[in-house]
Amino acid sequence: MKRAIVLNIFLALFLTFAPKFITAQEKADTAAPVETKITFTYLCTSNDSVVLKANLFIKKDGEIYGLENASINFSVTGEKENINLGNAITNQEGNASLTCSIKGLPANKEGIISYAAAFKGNSKFPPVEASFVAKPARIKMTFNIEDSARHINISATQKNAKGEEVPVPNEKLMIYVPRLFSMLKIGEVDLDADGKANFEFAGKIVGDTLGNLRILVRLEESELFGYVQGQNEINWGVPKQYYKAEVPSRELWTPIAPLWMIITLIIMLAGVWAHYVYAVYELIMIKRHSKNNKPLY
Amino acid sequence: MENEQRSPLREFAPQLERTSIQGYAWIVFLLGVIGVGFYAFLTQVIDGHEVTGMRDNVVWGVYIVNFIFFMGVSYAGALISGTLHLFHTAWRKPIIRMAELITIIALLIGPCFILLCIGRLDKLYYLVIFGRIQSPITWDVIAISTDIFGCLIFLYLTMLRDLAALRDYEILQLPKWRKKLYKVLALGYTGTPEQQFRLNRATNIMAAMVISIAIIVYSVLAWIFSVTLQPGWHSTIFGPYFVIAAVYSGSAVLIIAMWIFRKVYHLENYITQKHFVAVGIIMLVLAAFFGYFTFSDYLTKWYGSEKNDELLIQLLFKEFYWPFIISNYIGVLLPLLVVGIAKFRTITNITLTAIVVVIALWLNRYLIVVPTLQSPYLPIQDSRPEWFHYSATWVEWSLTAAGVAIFCLLFTIASKFIPVVPVSGLVEETKKEDVLI
Repeated sequence: MKRAIVLNIFLALFLTFAPKFITAQEKADTAAPVETKITFTYLCTSNDSVVLKANLFIKKDGEIYGLENASINFSVTGEKENINLGNAITNQEGNASLTCSIKGLPANKEGIISYAAAFKGNSKFPPVEASFVAKPARIKMTFNIEDSARHINISATQKNAKGEEVPVPNEKLMIYVPRLFSMLKIGEVDLDADGKANFEFAGKIVGDTLGNLRILVRLEESELFGYVQGQNEINWGVPKQYYKAEVPSRELWTPIAPLWMIITLIIMLAGVWAHYVYAVYELIMIKRHSKNNKPLY
Repeated sequence: MENEQRSPLREFAPQLERTSIQGYAWIVFLLGVIGVGFYAFLTQVIDGHEVTGMRDNVVWGVYIVNFIFFMGVSYAGALISGTLHLFHTAWRKPIIRMAELITIIALLIGPCFILLCIGRLDKLYYLVIFGRIQSPITWDVIAISTDIFGCLIFLYLTMLRDLAALRDYEILQLPKWRKKLYKVLALGYTGTPEQQFRLNRATNIMAAMVISIAIIVYSVLAWIFSVTLQPGWHSTIFGPYFVIAAVYSGSAVLIIAMWIFRKVYHLENYITQKHFVAVGIIMLVLAAFFGYFTFSDYLTKWYGSEKNDELLIQLLFKEFYWPFIISNYIGVLLPLLVVGIAKFRTITNITLTAIVVVIALWLNRYLIVVPTLQSPYLPIQDSRPEWFHYSATWVEWSLTAAGVAIFCLLFTIASKFIPVVPVSGLVEETKKEDVLI
């Protein structure tokens, strides 16, 4: 009896709390203030423009949540004046980006530009800002074929104090081909003292139906230049061919099921229903043998 | 007449002839719950599925959980009754009818939850017009409809002797229409050697069929999940795992039904501790199998360290910690302790354990459906965090309660139509006892 009581108590507790385990998915807000955080990066492209990217988020219970519909102000801090580049609204992941030309942006004597991204804050989320400095650079590439070997000739330049184009020496560059979901890295090269590098393109990579490939060359996480990217298209890819099955296969839109499946289904259903029919037949025979019999009771 | 006086039917006469005030109150209560469910259903039809907790990511919720649960209970009933019948288990007779009724009633309720899950019921016939054999959903529709027919035939075959007894038992004070109905349904069965031979042969064949169909049909239901590449679903052992979980939950439901009918209809002489211990031991063995399959499934997922499986397991041990513990630890260990240790094997303890097992197995199905849908493979455009989380609404809970109420109501009605214990079998036992004396 005691054991039954103990089990009853356990059961009552279980029934009391079990629904909460299922439905209690929204936890009460903690009393501690939420700290707003921002990450700020940029990408300098070869057409003298930069893409400024900010990500606004909070950390709660160990999870990261992007802040949506927040206005991020991007600016450049000069020695004499600050230039407001504009605002961008964050998406569901908390990302906001702004593309602007680097022409006319205030830079220091070394040509370094200081960028800033700021969130003004509101009643629930405090203001936050981030900044970084980077020197604009440019990556160019040309393609040539020598003795049936395909080469990508890369050059990277920057502007000196006089505004002249000078090489970016001794930096490591990554070479990518964009795919559907991510960048396919096909190699990396080191720039020489003249800011030049050569990469032999040896892979067989599927391009579009005409065989066109887009090649991206990137300088990444450089202390001076940040992220710099150059890109170009070349007809070195394997033309994409859409597969057309000669026989019906397993696509979602295939009208006919595989033969083995149809045969299996027919055998199974026929086997089962034959037994049903036999059972019903036996019931009919029971009915036929019912006449002139004595009742059970 | 002498036969009538000695017949066990005499003891079941009150159950069949009249309904007590408590019985009517119980039926009114069930109708009330069903009424609330009907109101919830109307709300859902008028306002759309927005009134449920299901969204773009979690497109399956409590409805599918209930569907799997009821179908599992049904298949368990078929497997238990079929197996007990086929192997002529000595103690089967007082409980086999309940297992058969559980099979058919749960089988009628389960698919209704699929209908509740479908957004456009007016387009339901598209399933027939545009149904594709390659689709596991089509397999399921074919399998369930085949199973319904098979279980109905098996139930009818096993009821035939009792229908004949009810037809011939003149002392029973029943309305004329019921007498006529028994007469029609009894098919003129009078127990001649020819009729007995044919009935036994048909029943044996159908017992074997319902066992095999139950295994196949519940495997098909498992394949709906496992043939997809979703984390947590794409598992080769899902078929047998579902079958074991189904029989496990069904054995627990059978114990609860035994306890209720024993109390309500005072069947203490027929359903004894021996029957509870016997079904309890079936539950114990199934608990061990269920625990083994669960451990095996999660171990391979965890050890493989596939990214999405890892995320799912993290989710189970974080957001769904307690349901996971109750489902996979308490739900497994409790029967092993209570039924495994002889001195704990009381009727109350076994029944309470069965209740915990039913809840644990329902939670198990919830953990199969919801957390996987909360951790999708591909990022969907414009998918907001709140769309990833599922929480059932009052509409879903009301319809769930209505499903349980319909199950109870149909069981109650069935027990008014035919004795929950097969009396024809007991007549045979009584005769054997007389011979021995």
